[in-house]
Amino acid sequence: MKLQAQYNKISIASSILVLLIAGAGYYFLLQYVLKEQLDESLRVEQVEIQDFINTKDSLPPATTYKDQRIEFKKTGKAVPQSFKTLILYNADEKENELSRQLDFTVEVNGQYYISSVTKSQEATKEIIGVILLITFGLIILLSGLLFFANRFLVKRMWRPFQTTLSSIKNFDLNAPSAIKTEKTAIHEFNELNENISMMTEKVVKDYLSLKNFTDHASHEMQTPLAVVNSKLDILIQDPALSEKNLRDLQSIYNAVDKMSKLSQSLLLLARIENNQFSEKQEVNIPVIAKNIVQELDEWVSEKSLTVNNKISELKVDMNTLLANTLITNMIINAIKHSSRQDTIQLSSGKNKFTISNPGTQPLTGDRIFDRFWKSEYSDGTGLGLAIAKQICDHYGFLLEYEFREGAHYFSVLF
Amino acid sequence: MASYLKNEDYTCEVALNFKQALDKIETSDYECIALDITLPGGSGMQLLKELKNNKKADGVIIISAKNSIDDRISGLRLGADDYLVKPFHLSELAARINAIIRRKMYNGNNIIRFNEIFIDTLAKEVMVKDDRIDLTRKEYELLVYLLSNQRRVISKNALISHLWSQEMGTGESADIIYTHIKNLRKKLNEKGCGDYIRSLYGMGYKLTDQ
Repeated sequence: MKLQAQYNKISIASSILVLLIAGAGYYFLLQYVLKEQLDESLRVEQVEIQDFINTKDSLPPATTYKDQRIEFKKTGKAVPQSFKTLILYNADEKENELSRQLDFTVEVNGQYYISSVTKSQEATKEIIGVILLITFGLIILLSGLLFFANRFLVKRMWRPFQTTLSSIKNFDLNAPSAIKTEKTAIHEFNELNENISMMTEKVVKDYLSLKNFTDHASHEMQTPLAVVNSKLDILIQDPALSEKNLRDLQSIYNAVDKMSKLSQSLLLLARIENNQFSEKQEVNIPVIAKNIVQELDEWVSEKSLTVNNKISELKVDMNTLLANTLITNMIINAIKHSSRQDTIQLSSGKNKFTISNPGTQPLTGDRIFDRFWKSEYSDGTGLGLAIAKQICDHYGFLLEYEFREGAHYFSVLF
Repeated sequence: MASYLKNEDYTCEVALNFKQALDKIETSDYECIALDITLPGGSGMQLLKELKNNKKADGVIIISAKNSIDDRISGLRLGADDYLVKPFHLSELAARINAIIRRKMYNGNNIIRFNEIFIDTLAKEVMVKDDRIDLTRKEYELLVYLLSNQRRVISKNALISHLWSQEMGTGESADIIYTHIKNLRKKLNEKGCGDYIRSLYGMGYKLTDQ
């Protein structure tokens, strides 16, 4: 739920609650006050009747006038005065009306009468009705006002936040631009903007230095590796070396080879990340694949593999070198992980290049493209597929892995 | 590097920094210069410009730690004959220096001769006792490489990186080199060529008539 909606809900619900409680309280208070007032006017009538009797020594006439009625009834003994609420039929209005009645005893010439003064409560009811109406009207008005305020005013207040947010959403570490913020009077947003700007600047700086680090480290490694290689090349010329010496030297050669491949692969990854392959042209994938298969012919025949090349027309706009690297890495991966006499399938679809080789069980799909991830039996650098993935990511291609019907399928969706 | 090259019948001089290198190229003519881009005291590229400005005909191989296409192109455009990326095998450097010197000495008439073996590197033809041998492309490259490094042990790794630009695991590569050497030997022997290729426990090979 949006913060605004949440805030709306709380503020409107609480105002309705307050207004309802206030309305109810008002209702009861008013009812009490009006009843007291009515009772007071009944008492005034009582005093007037008593005065009339005291001066005239006779009963005033029983009257029914508007909302007021006065009656007398003979009685044997005096009763204490009492108020009561009752429903009486009003002949004028032709309806039952809620009324308030005061009964009291008067004495005229030794005879007791019960005098009843009745007043209609309809007026009270009307007042209460109006009050309730005003209360509900207020509720509706206030809700509407709050809703409007939240919708337009609060939204406007949040606008700097929205600007910052959308700027963060569009932020790309590979093409960093400063976070766009809006100047605002709201302290919290200003603080947020300041901190975000500072944070992104730092992140960008760290990221750049990290990228450059890989680049530099790989470069700096080349010269010492070259020295080791040269010294080895000279060392093996010595005729006095024993077989064991030579085997040890072979291990060193292999280790140096692997290290130089590693640093070259890391360098390539760093270069792709650094956008150093911006040059683009139309690349003919079938031609590239054919050349690579030819180039790798010795490895294919060494393992008695069959390469079934069924790629048809497929042209992609990308860097030639990267296209070559991508297809090479995928084919080499398939060759490396094939058993003797397997068949490797190359196929293409609409904007799709697929390579498959038989396998016994699926690979852990989410990790195979990770750097340095490799299967137990692999003696590679563990960077081949990571580079392929990086190239695909660079161009927004999709590199997919799938295992079905006893074969690994690697596909690039261009 | 120098000691490796001196074994072959080359005279090899070493300049350790930019100034030494500048003195040397001004005072002498060389058949081939192996030029490191990052020299103490200056850039190898600067030296290359100097050479070309003085209309020197010295062959130049650029040696760089940077495997970048831009550098390669700018180096070759400045008149370098070749570009070699670190780390490399000395046998590779020797083979490339040989190729450059061959081109310069014979004015494009590229012939390699080793006893009864005769190679025309332009036509890519191999003859043994005037008899043509059909070699595959890789076998041909292998033979030229071995001949460029005569009487020296070449590691299997050097052969692999010379023959294949692609990176395969070392396990698989060993067998492939073995197969190639075996086939090459067989084809040479069939034409009555002496067996010059020696194997050093499978870790390296040497072509020698001694």
